[in-house]
Amino acid sequence: MQTTIFTFTVLLLALIGYYMGRSRAVSTVGGDIRKLHSLPRHYGYFVAIWCGVPALVLCVLWTLFEPQIVNSLVLSGVSSLDPDASSAVVSRVLSDIKFLALNGTGRGADDPSMIAAAAHYSHLKSVGTASLAVAVIAFSIIGLVIGRRRIGAELKARNQVEDIIRLVLLASSIVAILTTIGIVASLLFEAIRFFGKVPFTDFLFGLEWSPQIALRKDQVASQGSFGAVPIFAGTLLISFIAMCVAVPVGLLSAIYMSEYATPKVRAFGKPMLEILAGIPTVVYGFFAALVVAPHIRNIGDSWGIDVSSESALAAGLVMGVMIIPFVSSLSDDVIRAVPQSLRDGSYALGGTKSETVLNVILPAALPGIVGGVMLAISRAIGETMIVVMAAGLTANLTANPLQAVTTATVQMVTLLVGDQEFDSPKTLAAFALGLVLFCVTLCLNVVALRVVAKYREKYD
Amino acid sequence: MKPMTKENAIDIDNSLHINNEMTKPDVTSMKIPADQVKIKAEDVRVRYGDKEALFGINLDIPKSKVTSFIGPSGCGKSTFLRCINRMNDTIDNCSVSGQIHMDGVDILSKQVDTVLLRAKIGMVFQKPNPFPKSIYDNVAYGPRLHGLATSKSEMDEVVETSLEKVGLLKEVKDRLLEPGTGLSGGQQQRLCIARAIAVDPEILLMDEPCSALDPIATAKIEELIDELRGSYTIVIVTHSMQQAARVSQQTAFFHLGNLVEYGETEQIFTSPEDERTKGYITGRFG
Amino acid sequence: MTELKESMKKARARLKKRHAAETRFKAFGIGALAFAFLCVVMLFTSIISNGYTGFRQTYVQIDVFMDEGIIDPKGDRDEKALRSADYAKIVRQSLYDKFPEVTARRDKRTLANLVSSSAVYDLRDMVLANQAVIGQNLSVWVMASDEVDMLVKDVFKRDEPENTRPITNMEIAWVEKLEAENRVETRFNTNFFVAGDSREPEQAGIRGALIGSALTMLVTLALSFPLGVMAAIYLEEFAPKNKFTHIVEVNINNLAAVPSIVFGLLGLAIFLNLFGMPRSAPIAGGFVLALMTLPTIIIASRAALKSIPPSIMEAAIGVGASKMQAVFHHQLPLALPGILTGTIIGMAQALGETAPLLMIGMVAFIADVPGTPFDPATVLPVQVYLWADSPERAFVEKTSAAIMVLLGFLITMNALAVLLRKKLERRW
Repeated sequence: MQTTIFTFTVLLLALIGYYMGRSRAVSTVGGDIRKLHSLPRHYGYFVAIWCGVPALVLCVLWTLFEPQIVNSLVLSGVSSLDPDASSAVVSRVLSDIKFLALNGTGRGADDPSMIAAAAHYSHLKSVGTASLAVAVIAFSIIGLVIGRRRIGAELKARNQVEDIIRLVLLASSIVAILTTIGIVASLLFEAIRFFGKVPFTDFLFGLEWSPQIALRKDQVASQGSFGAVPIFAGTLLISFIAMCVAVPVGLLSAIYMSEYATPKVRAFGKPMLEILAGIPTVVYGFFAALVVAPHIRNIGDSWGIDVSSESALAAGLVMGVMIIPFVSSLSDDVIRAVPQSLRDGSYALGGTKSETVLNVILPAALPGIVGGVMLAISRAIGETMIVVMAAGLTANLTANPLQAVTTATVQMVTLLVGDQEFDSPKTLAAFALGLVLFCVTLCLNVVALRVVAKYREKYD
Repeated sequence: MKPMTKENAIDIDNSLHINNEMTKPDVTSMKIPADQVKIKAEDVRVRYGDKEALFGINLDIPKSKVTSFIGPSGCGKSTFLRCINRMNDTIDNCSVSGQIHMDGVDILSKQVDTVLLRAKIGMVFQKPNPFPKSIYDNVAYGPRLHGLATSKSEMDEVVETSLEKVGLLKEVKDRLLEPGTGLSGGQQQRLCIARAIAVDPEILLMDEPCSALDPIATAKIEELIDELRGSYTIVIVTHSMQQAARVSQQTAFFHLGNLVEYGETEQIFTSPEDERTKGYITGRFG
Repeated sequence: MTELKESMKKARARLKKRHAAETRFKAFGIGALAFAFLCVVMLFTSIISNGYTGFRQTYVQIDVFMDEGIIDPKGDRDEKALRSADYAKIVRQSLYDKFPEVTARRDKRTLANLVSSSAVYDLRDMVLANQAVIGQNLSVWVMASDEVDMLVKDVFKRDEPENTRPITNMEIAWVEKLEAENRVETRFNTNFFVAGDSREPEQAGIRGALIGSALTMLVTLALSFPLGVMAAIYLEEFAPKNKFTHIVEVNINNLAAVPSIVFGLLGLAIFLNLFGMPRSAPIAGGFVLALMTLPTIIIASRAALKSIPPSIMEAAIGVGASKMQAVFHHQLPLALPGILTGTIIGMAQALGETAPLLMIGMVAFIADVPGTPFDPATVLPVQVYLWADSPERAFVEKTSAAIMVLLGFLITMNALAVLLRKKLERRW
């Protein structure tokens, strides 16, 4: 809340700075603004930036790092806290202290070190806020004065303002890089901690997955096992089923739409596929669990086949339907990129449409289509909601699509929903799975995007 | 393209005689002896959507000769060429009316199977368009489609003779399995001609076949056209009047969707009857 | 000539087969398209047929005696006492009086469950609003329990054998008696739109999820739109063609294809654990979805900027504008329709996203409607997921109805994007 007030104060000061800068610029040249290097408002912006930016940066840094600093300072004073207590214990103690500081009563009210810590916490908080207020206001006023001082007819205000804007633009484009770095760093960090507890080879080649760790410390025997092979197998099985649906249907509909369909059919088919693409995955998941899985089970029953109610087939089929528009739009793009002259060449030799498609267009478009299918596979193995709702929870090493299997994403959700303890392998295992998922999809994407880009260059 | 059944198919191969009452005299058309006529167009009109592109073309094209179509861009010469092997069918909003008789059969009729028709009427395009396959597969594509070769050795022979005919065999003999797209522009175009004649057509349509080529490659193609003249009826659309004069025996001048003048090439270029033809040939417009 | 004829004969012989292959291939294409269409139809019919009843709710009229002995035994009309009085007893008593033949304890308990537990709050609110009702006989409409609701809506079939249906013959008899007295009716389910989540299907509503979604989208939009547009401007107009720019571009394209759940892990590790953002809060969800939407907005904005002919920029620079001025005065306003279209599509994706939000704890049961982006909340698709997981049959219709609302929003947003593209986008 305080940061909001600070932000508004700074913005107000910046606004004042704008008008001060403007009027000062005008008055330095005696009202004849043609003598100025830049327009008066650029001088206004100039002062406003000097006034606002440093102070706002300070505000942001404060909000990011203040909690960590205060927490560590406070915790260092709690004597009853075991130095290697788990993160869950630490966060509980912290919230107790905060509660104490706020309400004066609560858990730990009988522990003097806790009471001291609570007092320490309140003290730090108020001191911190006060010093931030002083610092922020000082920053902006000093900035305002400096900015205003520098104004003169010769000052290249516009160029300086533009340089700063350019920096801001650059910074925004770096956010994407930071996101990737953040993903890699967080996955690696937690995954390395996981591999400190569970050997890397056990994870990658182990055949048994039962991450439910013992509830009590003395239950050593029931240490969970983290062999991820059944999970990878399950992920691949469901993705394979999905691709069996999505690739033929998506590709054939793309071919039909680009080579055969009349404009009327196209005007109907394209929005229809877009609708299919726009449906949230949670809806597909509900559809799979409510309609498709029971149906498949009933059909299986009527043939006397035992089908699991969470069969890989149901999840895979629905996932395939979800990916149809993806495959179809990517294929449509690459098929359209095949030059008309190749089609003409084939037709002129007396090729029928299907012969032209199969012998000329598809071979020519093959790299693009392969790239598209790779992107689709990456999508299938990263898909979460459909499998969470329609596939099984228990790891089951089987190739039978009628049985329940689990996937990497399902396990990540079940391991992380609910209580999280960042020092138990159970929670960390989700990050290890995430790392594998990220690496595999990244490889697929990089290769696929490169293949597609190369393909486009060829026909551009 | 409607699939054709045997019953409603008009037999375009078995009608060699020409129906005499079809050879009506025409103002713009020159007189060609009836038994020499290979293609006879009557009142061919083409429209793209609402835009009319050809306003009733009447034209006789003689057998085993080279006929060239000239005229400024957008005059309809390419459009008319594409009518002859029904390539306009592949354009969505294009409609063609009138009649084009080949050996006495109206090839614009719905009953004519375009697949078979195009096997008889080959086409070469403005830009060389080899398929992204090997040289061998490019030439073999047509014969494979139509099942013209029953064995590998027969196919080898077809490919070799076709390449030989276009003078490409010597140049590419030892790299038949390399992609056709790796050849030079002139070679690619000759490959496309080889590809067209590999299915043994009767007519060869060429749509500005040299416009994307350099002068040396152009000269080679022109030489080739002259050689092929004996075995095929050739129709060529060209922008270059010199080329028309060099390779063709008949020339037709198109202007704004109309056939303005049609006659012996020499006569068209030396003493055109129409003012517009004269203007175009002397370079006053175009 | 004879040789020619020979080759044509061969070609003719194959013709029938080739045309058959052609027809077959075309049929495959039509089949593929028809399959996709069938999937759309099946999906929508199953959702709508399950969900349309969710917009109606069954009400039952009961006669209650507002017994002062129960509500206010001390008689001092103390509001705290009135608030905590045992209204459930009044409701139970009213039902026992209605069906005096029910005597067995188990049956009586079943009977008390005929109406929703929300009836208690209805009575309490009546008393708090007007203390004069104490001691009077009233006839009030209260929500029926979810099982009665299912029965009245014919989801539970009366003609099925008793052992296969979730509601007993006895209960059906009670409902039929009430129906005979015109004490049962279904009304538009306003509760569905004004209530938060609940464990009781008949009391559960989507208000909390809707507000949660709105707050999350607000945060997402506030972050991803400016960042995305600025990044696009930089990459399209200012970035030098060097290795760094290339890396940024490749990176953005790859980010667009990273599975959404990985963004959830990022949010959990960085936003929650490192920066200490509140769990389950729209602010954290908004940050995660913003990062996820960013590539979509950047790619769309770049395409929009690229489509503007360079002549405009040249004209502006030609009259002495700086590049920055040319971009902000000309390029950006002209590209805005395209940018907005891309943004709406990106926001629609974010609105339907579930998986990353599960990672940052927006999946908890939260009955309160959130007021600020820092309060615990859930969003519409997560609400769908939560309800879909609930065993009660009545939640199926709630889930489907929530999906209908969600799809309604998504279709509106996409239609808006299409409209915007058609109306405002210029063809150069």
